[in-house]
Amino acid sequence: MSPIAQALALVAAVLGTGTATVSVMNSDIPDLRVPEADWQPGHALDGMDFAITATIDQNGAEETDILRFADGRFQSVDCERYCEFGWTGYQTWTEGEVVHFTATTRCATAPHTVVWHGQVVDGQIAMDMSWTTRRWYWTQQITGSGTGTLTEAPVTAAAG
Amino acid sequence: MRETPVGAGPTLGGIALRVLLLITVAVAGTWAAHWVRDALDMTIMPSVEMQVHRGIMFGMLAYIVLLAIPFVPGAEIGIALLTAFGASIAPLVYAATVVSMMLAYAVGRLLPAGTLVRLLSVLRMRRAAALVSRAAALAPDDRLALFLEGAPPRTVGLALRHRYVALAVIVNVPGNSVIGGGGGIMMLAGLSGIFSPVQTVLAVAIAVSPVPLAILLLGA
Repeated sequence: MSPIAQALALVAAVLGTGTATVSVMNSDIPDLRVPEADWQPGHALDGMDFAITATIDQNGAEETDILRFADGRFQSVDCERYCEFGWTGYQTWTEGEVVHFTATTRCATAPHTVVWHGQVVDGQIAMDMSWTTRRWYWTQQITGSGTGTLTEAPVTAAAG
Repeated sequence: MRETPVGAGPTLGGIALRVLLLITVAVAGTWAAHWVRDALDMTIMPSVEMQVHRGIMFGMLAYIVLLAIPFVPGAEIGIALLTAFGASIAPLVYAATVVSMMLAYAVGRLLPAGTLVRLLSVLRMRRAAALVSRAAALAPDDRLALFLEGAPPRTVGLALRHRYVALAVIVNVPGNSVIGGGGGIMMLAGLSGIFSPVQTVLAVAIAVSPVPLAILLLGA
């Protein structure tokens, strides 16, 4: 093996070991914990769109978004803009007039996972969320909570 | 009052004071970094996460390459990343530092000295080329002694017998930029031919661990 090839092999071995070490040292941050309940694939919120305002716990920033429910699937318009989350099945359970919902969405092109959990009653929504990015060298997470009301479907809505 | 003889080494009290000062500076520096990070609000929002990721990957690549080159300042990139992102980026910076050191070692060990001198000259790195040229003309043990220029002869013998410990110490000594910094030291270590790859990786992995470890522990 030529000296240059040996040098490249040594560096590749160290690079591979270093990458593996960093990945092992990278501690995970768990997603938003959704309470145990009789969750079932949902249709109770189909056809509803909610305009929400959420506050990010880490820096107090306010974010607006539209949460859409259609044909048993869920989508966040803002998340779709940041990454290709698409539509994801959502689950519900009903407690009197309160409809509890949850959805776990994953981006198809990047390692982002967003977990949603909330309640809808009388056209009002309250929710919590966590956005977790899991890369091989670190895990980053932001969490937030917010409220909102029923709204008209956005004009530039992503295709269902 | 008894005067300290001229040329005598530091007293125990003096060493203790310097260690205390070093710890104080390290703690104050970490606190200042936290304050800067909070002031800049480094919360990584979804809208900028991809750009941050690309910036980190590019920064790490530049860090590895620059740190491996003698007399080229590269440590500042790692320090900037540690300041901006804190403990969460420490494992990556640590691994990149080890990779960079081993890259310099591999280049020194496996490329012919003449080729290395020509390569550094073409890249206009005259100081690095001169260092390698000077080392190439020496016997292997004498190349190691380049690390310890100006040190007592007994130190050189001790360093040869415990060369991996000596390597780990020299990599961390302030002012080692006069012999090319970490990249220069590792390139010379490879060039000397008396450092085996596996033991060198272990020595380097231990040598460069204090700062990332401190940040991980203080940032936790």
